[in-house]
Amino acid sequence: MKYIKMYLACAHTAFSRAAAYRADFLLGSIITLLSNILFPLVTVLIYTNGATFPGWTMWEVLLIQSVYSMSTGAAAMFFYSVVWVTMEHIREGSFETVLLKPVSPLFFIASSNFDPQYGGLFLGGLVLTIVSSAHTNISGLSGILQFILLFTAGLAVMSGLYLVMAAITFKWVGNARIPEIFDSIITFGKYPAGIFPRGIRVLSTLIVPVSVIGYFPASALLGRLEPMAYISLIPCLLFLAFGIWIYNRMIKLYEGVGG
Amino acid sequence: MHKLEELKAVAFATYKEWSVYRTHSMVSMFVGPIYFIVQYYIWTAVYGGADTLAQMELSQTIRYFGATVLIGYLTMDFADWNLQMLVRTGKFLTFTLRPMHHRFFALSQKVGHRILGFFFEFLPCLLIFTLVFRVDIIPEHLGWTAISVVLAFLMNFYINYCIGMTAFYLTQANGIRVVYQLLAQVFSGALIPLNFFPPAMQYVMMFLPFQYTNYITAMIWTGGDNIGGINLSVPQAVLCQGIAVIAAYLLSEVIYRISMKRFTAVGA
Repeated sequence: MKYIKMYLACAHTAFSRAAAYRADFLLGSIITLLSNILFPLVTVLIYTNGATFPGWTMWEVLLIQSVYSMSTGAAAMFFYSVVWVTMEHIREGSFETVLLKPVSPLFFIASSNFDPQYGGLFLGGLVLTIVSSAHTNISGLSGILQFILLFTAGLAVMSGLYLVMAAITFKWVGNARIPEIFDSIITFGKYPAGIFPRGIRVLSTLIVPVSVIGYFPASALLGRLEPMAYISLIPCLLFLAFGIWIYNRMIKLYEGVGG
Repeated sequence: MHKLEELKAVAFATYKEWSVYRTHSMVSMFVGPIYFIVQYYIWTAVYGGADTLAQMELSQTIRYFGATVLIGYLTMDFADWNLQMLVRTGKFLTFTLRPMHHRFFALSQKVGHRILGFFFEFLPCLLIFTLVFRVDIIPEHLGWTAISVVLAFLMNFYINYCIGMTAFYLTQANGIRVVYQLLAQVFSGALIPLNFFPPAMQYVMMFLPFQYTNYITAMIWTGGDNIGGINLSVPQAVLCQGIAVIAAYLLSEVIYRISMKRFTAVGA
């Protein structure tokens, strides 16, 4: 209960801060949104040139990509800043100031760096999801329930990835390109899994379950979910648990060399 | 000759400075191939049985994305970020006191930085594409491609420098930078070859700077004779790129001279 109250207080502060610099906040939100809806533009251009992803209509592929945007927007609000703030603390050798706080360091960094700017991306993804859904055959209540379950699992994967990234910064000091590595891996979740060979499908479902970020939730809405999707729920939870564990483990290795 | 010595000295110092962070550059050895794999499967699926799409064969499209990755490693630039930081903090003052134009200094830095990129990003990825993925990535017209890469390198630099100079007026030019990068991502052909855009837009893009930083070079690299929506030949495309570079250089000089009259070194 104490942690929930603290988190809400931090979120309230973050919104107040955004309101104080609202022009910057709005511009930042719009830019974040625009930079993430470029991938749907590629899909639109592909289909307007008469080509297709075999077995998928344009709106179905857009649905995958809009769910993906929603998922990244939601997870980024809560955890993306953890990567940059941790990286900066390690580089400057100021992580001690976090360790001195009477709460879990991970909780402190995550709560005090809640970033509402990614709300723009989430809302943009939500609007595109609704528009795409209107142009496809949604499979009813069961599909929506499956979607919610898998979307939540996707959030767990994204959050786990952010925590793993943040954990790496403890040893790979100041490398601002770490997110690029993970961005490249999650790209596999933006497209229908059927276009990839079996090996990549297994990897993106069971090992690093990025298919759960966009592909599986959208498939649930469309009523074409594969049984493999349910199996991937386990690695999703494991991935989040691994992210939390590795972050806390790396804190113990912190040496404060930059200070 | 003296200029060349200056360029070599600054480039060498930058190379040494950044080689401390060479593992950061080596991230590209993972990211580049992953990006390429994704593009390979996307476009193989999209083409299906089709011979050509938007006047491009599948093999050319795949080579296009491989070339785009490699060109990015040779031309990558952050002169805009660097310059706006120097202006915002007032540190630019120290450059106005030096007997060397800051733009030339920044260009020399970029040369050193990209030589590092050549060894730790370009060469490893070229080898991975050729030996592991078995992609025929060697340029069709080696000479024209080399000229075009140099022009793309300069174009990227001069445009970014112009963007960076907006800091003389706005102080904090981050918003402009991000907006430009967004536009560049779409209209430079980094996401999708510009042949996929409507013909009218392709024609308009001939008059914008974006495609001269990547698309034209990537098309020349792949040996395409279907460049720019108006089917430019390779020499014509390089000529257009050369004219665009000269225009960008002149624009940067004009903006620089006007900006110097209002630079007050606030924050120094």
